[in-house]
Amino acid sequence: MTATAAKMKGQAERFRLPGIAGIGFAGLLFVVLLLVNVYLNPERFLPHSWGTLIGLAAPLISAALASTPAILSGRGGLDVSIGPLMGFVNAIVVTIIIAKWGLAGPVAVWVAAIVIGAAFGAFNGFLAAIVRIQPIVATLGTYLVLAGLTTTIVPSPTGTIPSWFSGLSGAWSFIPLLVIGLLWFALTRTPYYTALMATGSEDRAAFTSGLNVTLIRFLAYLVGGVFAGIAGLSLTALIGSADPNIGETYTLLAISSVALGGVSLAGGRGGFIGATIGALDIFLLQSALIYFNVSTFILQTAYGAILVLAVASTAMQKSSGGRDL
Amino acid sequence: MRETDCCLEAERIVLKAGRAPLTVRFRPGEIVGLAGLDGHGQEVFLEVLAGWRRPLAGEVRHSGRAGGAPRPIRNFRDAMRRGVAYLPRDRRRTGIFPALSILDNFAIASLNRDTRIGFISPRIRRERYSRFKDLLSIVADDPRRTITTLSGGNQQKVLLARLLVREPDVLLLNDPTRGVDVATRQLLYGVFKDLALKGMTIVILSSEIEEAIFLSNRVLVFRDSTLSAELSGVELDNDRVISAMFGRAA
Repeated sequence: MTATAAKMKGQAERFRLPGIAGIGFAGLLFVVLLLVNVYLNPERFLPHSWGTLIGLAAPLISAALASTPAILSGRGGLDVSIGPLMGFVNAIVVTIIIAKWGLAGPVAVWVAAIVIGAAFGAFNGFLAAIVRIQPIVATLGTYLVLAGLTTTIVPSPTGTIPSWFSGLSGAWSFIPLLVIGLLWFALTRTPYYTALMATGSEDRAAFTSGLNVTLIRFLAYLVGGVFAGIAGLSLTALIGSADPNIGETYTLLAISSVALGGVSLAGGRGGFIGATIGALDIFLLQSALIYFNVSTFILQTAYGAILVLAVASTAMQKSSGGRDL
Repeated sequence: MRETDCCLEAERIVLKAGRAPLTVRFRPGEIVGLAGLDGHGQEVFLEVLAGWRRPLAGEVRHSGRAGGAPRPIRNFRDAMRRGVAYLPRDRRRTGIFPALSILDNFAIASLNRDTRIGFISPRIRRERYSRFKDLLSIVADDPRRTITTLSGGNQQKVLLARLLVREPDVLLLNDPTRGVDVATRQLLYGVFKDLALKGMTIVILSSEIEEAIFLSNRVLVFRDSTLSAELSGVELDNDRVISAMFGRAA
């Protein structure tokens, strides 16, 4: 009996994926919130409305995924400019790429979004990893620059998008998420991913192992920027115009999602599955409370309460479980 | 003409202001011990050899396995690239990655060797690991478990395997048997001697005099951040090392 139990324990440990560790609470919350939402509003969760549903959740999920690489890279790694970057992509794509230059095709729009995302990701990486400014300060600078630029280009909501683009918030809303997911999945199969997790958890040991810690961190911001560019497309598809006020709201929600999903802000722990579940929790909480016509102030209070609860429960889980991560 | 087979040389290294410079050559196949009372410069010297820190004056030069004129080592990563491997003393802080698996801990310094068209092949990585698992008799059921499930001795073996897989020609060891059980020690001694026989240069800092004497062809004794004595052959015994450590003429 004991032998079998020990063996089962061994098996359980063997098959525990590193990315799953620590999302116990978020996963439970997800199931509960999903049931509540389905009960309140079954119509929204029927297969024919999945496209719209994913389209509503996609900007937040992608924003959370865009925040993850910098956080994983450790030593205070954080990119608070993700939200404004999404807003900036939204403004540029709608007012300049589509309206001014008339490049309304998918190729031009996707390329523009990814290039803008990569450029600002690289800029953040340069400041945080190479110049070694505290990441929160460096990316706060980028946050303000981007927010200012966006308001200058688009002082008030304006513009329209072609029909293929609106489709990205309907039937094809999974495409941007799928692209981010595939890119990340491919990345986890490269040496870079192991190096990133190693650097995030123990940067001194990473240096001793001969890893180029600076380059690894720089690339984390770059990858996050590319994902933020794609997130900007989901956002644009959802709102269907250029809006200077909406992007910034995603920064804090994304960071909350990531923390809720068990990604350690100390770096090196957690992964995309956790970040996605964290974002879904926030999204489902939002939609349940909106059903009750709760004011946005209460909504924010609820996010905060859930976040503190989740992080505390993860911490307690770790200290009582005795699992030496 | 200089010795052509010399692979690592410390040229007029000054460890502390006002101390006499050190010039030491390390030959292939040689095990050199570093001894001294704690904080008398032997550890600094080892870190200088590793490119980990800069000496006040002088330089460390290295010529690769292929030979050629020795070139100065610029920094730690340069040293590593060129085949000078360093095993740090503090295993917990600068050695293991507690959150990563045994396999990842092993492969972290040689990630590019596991790839096929840019992607990691778990099979190649497991095969590489299993060679070293046998060589160093690493006791671990499943390499996918976190490294913290291993004993201190086995963690040290994984760290050593991490370095050896890069096929270095110089191995710098900072107190490698600290906190390691007796059986593992014996095994490590065997491994070090074997590597030296195959032509690797090994520099070992040991806090135990007996260990340094047992392993080394010659022992450099440090006192007050400079060389106090260089002992080899019949001169290499406990009393002489201790005398040199305390700065007395033997």
